[in-house]
Amino acid sequence: MAQQYDIKAMADIIESLRKDAEKLKKISSGIPTVEKNADRILANVRMLEINISDVAEILGE
Amino acid sequence: MKSDEYWNPILETLPREKLERLQLKKFQEIFTWAFEHSKFYHKLYGDAGLEPGDIKSFEDIRKVPKFEKSMLRDAQGKDPFPYGDILSVPLEQVTEYHQTSGTTGQPVYQADTWQDWEYGTESFAYALYAQGYRPGDRLFLPFGYNIFIAFWGAHYAAEKIGCEVIPGGVLNTEARILKMQELKATAMGATPTYVLGMAETARKMGINPLTDLQINKITVAGEPGGSIPATRKRMEEAWGAKVYDQCGSTEIGHWGWECRQQAGLHVNEAFFLVEVIDVDTGEYIDEPGKMGKMVVTTFNRMAQPCIRFDVKDLIQWNTRQCDCGRTFRLLDGGIMGRADDITKVKGVLLSPTAIEEVVRDIPQLSNEYQVVVTKKGDIDDILLKVEIVPEYVNDEASIRTVLVDQLRLKTNLGYKIEFHEYGSLPRSQAKSRRFQDQRPKQH
Repeated sequence: MAQQYDIKAMADIIESLRKDAEKLKKISSGIPTVEKNADRILANVRMLEINISDVAEILGE
Repeated sequence: MKSDEYWNPILETLPREKLERLQLKKFQEIFTWAFEHSKFYHKLYGDAGLEPGDIKSFEDIRKVPKFEKSMLRDAQGKDPFPYGDILSVPLEQVTEYHQTSGTTGQPVYQADTWQDWEYGTESFAYALYAQGYRPGDRLFLPFGYNIFIAFWGAHYAAEKIGCEVIPGGVLNTEARILKMQELKATAMGATPTYVLGMAETARKMGINPLTDLQINKITVAGEPGGSIPATRKRMEEAWGAKVYDQCGSTEIGHWGWECRQQAGLHVNEAFFLVEVIDVDTGEYIDEPGKMGKMVVTTFNRMAQPCIRFDVKDLIQWNTRQCDCGRTFRLLDGGIMGRADDITKVKGVLLSPTAIEEVVRDIPQLSNEYQVVVTKKGDIDDILLKVEIVPEYVNDEASIRTVLVDQLRLKTNLGYKIEFHEYGSLPRSQAKSRRFQDQRPKQH
């Protein structure tokens, strides 16, 4: 079933989401709402990595 | 099977060979994380002469020391308070506190970061989605939202799927039933004991769950009843709903669940490594149909890693593959008991779940029962307390005969039977404690 999905493209976007969220957190200058919402985004990005990116590596080997 | 049956069709149908490679990679990662961030694990593995890089195969995984709840209790006596040196993240990253129910002794504390909490939500979403939960479902959760993890995961997972969740927290049973009726709830999650107890209470209130409520599916957890056919049948008949079993624990997470096929518990093998170990020899069991105790690793729970946890629950792999198309293996009969419950009585292994199967298969008996094991001199005695449903009180002799015969057949043991007034045995809203071993402990 994995062949039906463009797992590599999804993994690339997930990687980009992580970079953007980390960058947002870095430039938040300590604004709590930015920093903490970025943390929440990163937790969800991690779920996407667990569901997609981590297996993309296995399927791409 | 259509791909919309799966929360994640990629992981749930991954070929076994790829799935096992993923598991090995995940185990290596959590092993390294724990070794580098937890004093408890660093010492445990250091004392065994293991370090990151040593885990190259499943054979190597089996050399990794297991840990038990008693070790966790010892670790939690150390700093940082209250989690102890198993904690693998700075304390200020912990956002969730829970604790075990203490069924097997002193409760242990569970730390989770928000990311860990999302992981728990995610793993419960696999379960609920497989059981048919979708946007439009109105899920009623009649549990005390508190320090026990219970159905917290179901709440967040159902929200994530897009269901509407009604938190039935501090209401009493009658108020919960009325709220379910008022809001036309379509699903609920509770322990098997409470599912049966609620139906009984509803009928006493003049509300028939079959016709006056609209529950069409129920997820049960916390006790083995969901995988005991006679108990499941009672629940499904009482509510006119499909009943699905779900397994998890505070320390591990939501590792197993039934899908709509109701063919056994799937282990979410992309999130957890479940091993079966022979109770007597400690040897690894791979073949289906052979019971052993469960040893579990949670792959991505980081604050308080759970690596090769010796749960002492008894399980066995099913010989068949599920028709749902998932490659996650099935357990046969769910949790079959506890390694510390399956004690020898009169020289025979006794499983409380086998007793439950017999009791719940006799329609003249109520849902409640208790088993008390005592010792007089050198002889073990088993007392089974049951209740007869009021309209059958004159049939005590014939019920006793059936009960004794079936118990002898299913458990190879003789019992003293005690009939109690209907409604007099204790009812529980959470995990019941029906098995009491009152024999002196042997040292």
